[in-house]
Amino acid sequence: MPEIFDNPAEWQAQYESGWLAHYQEHGAIDWSLYPRPRNREAVGGPGISLAESRLLFVTSAGAYLPPSQEKFDDEDDLGDYGIRTIPSDAPLADIAYAHTHYPHDAVNADPQVLLPLRHLEALRDEGAIGDLAPEFVSFMGYQPDVPRVVAETAPQVVAYAKEAAVRAALLVPA
Amino acid sequence: MGLLSRALELAGIASVVTSWLGSVTRLTKPPRATFTRLQRGATLGQPGDGAQQLRVLRATLALLEQDAPLAPITLDEE
Repeated sequence: MPEIFDNPAEWQAQYESGWLAHYQEHGAIDWSLYPRPRNREAVGGPGISLAESRLLFVTSAGAYLPPSQEKFDDEDDLGDYGIRTIPSDAPLADIAYAHTHYPHDAVNADPQVLLPLRHLEALRDEGAIGDLAPEFVSFMGYQPDVPRVVAETAPQVVAYAKEAAVRAALLVPA
Repeated sequence: MGLLSRALELAGIASVVTSWLGSVTRLTKPPRATFTRLQRGATLGQPGDGAQQLRVLRATLALLEQDAPLAPITLDEE
């Protein structure tokens, strides 16, 4: 049976003895010690007719909607595993970004390089996409602890996807 | 994002990811993916180039119509 992450024990041992131990000892991050998550087995599922489907957009850009939403904790070296949901029709100018691990020049100049909200509306209006979820999901993609992504972030994203009754999802990392 | 794409697919939701860092995303084996040579912080295209952003979006969304797992598709976008 495929899983989200199919070798967590092996990964955890490398993470704790390498990257995390170095951080705890020195208070500094050494990315050469970080074990990239790998899966052995692919997961699959049936394709859908996008023109007849509701789509959820998911971003890891750390987008949030001030002042009603709290920013992500982008100062925590161990990451932030929460999500925010933001109306899909929100004005792009109202959205802020809490994520210190990518340059913000491009998204500040043109938010649709990461948040294609107006493009997705145009694709819906032309009939290429059946419908958009009322809100999109945002998280802050600096999340070094992979089992926490699986245990904390993934269930929140899936729960919103089910609540919004979507059949498809588009994920755009920062 | 590859892991979250898997989580959604396993929950019965067809998912697709686009990445400027295919060498890392590939390791997680997402169900459907497009890879580009775009930059960190500008995943869908250059700022102000709505046509490029839409090309990347259309090519990525098109994969949702196909059964997964699919081999990742490399787009000629930079």
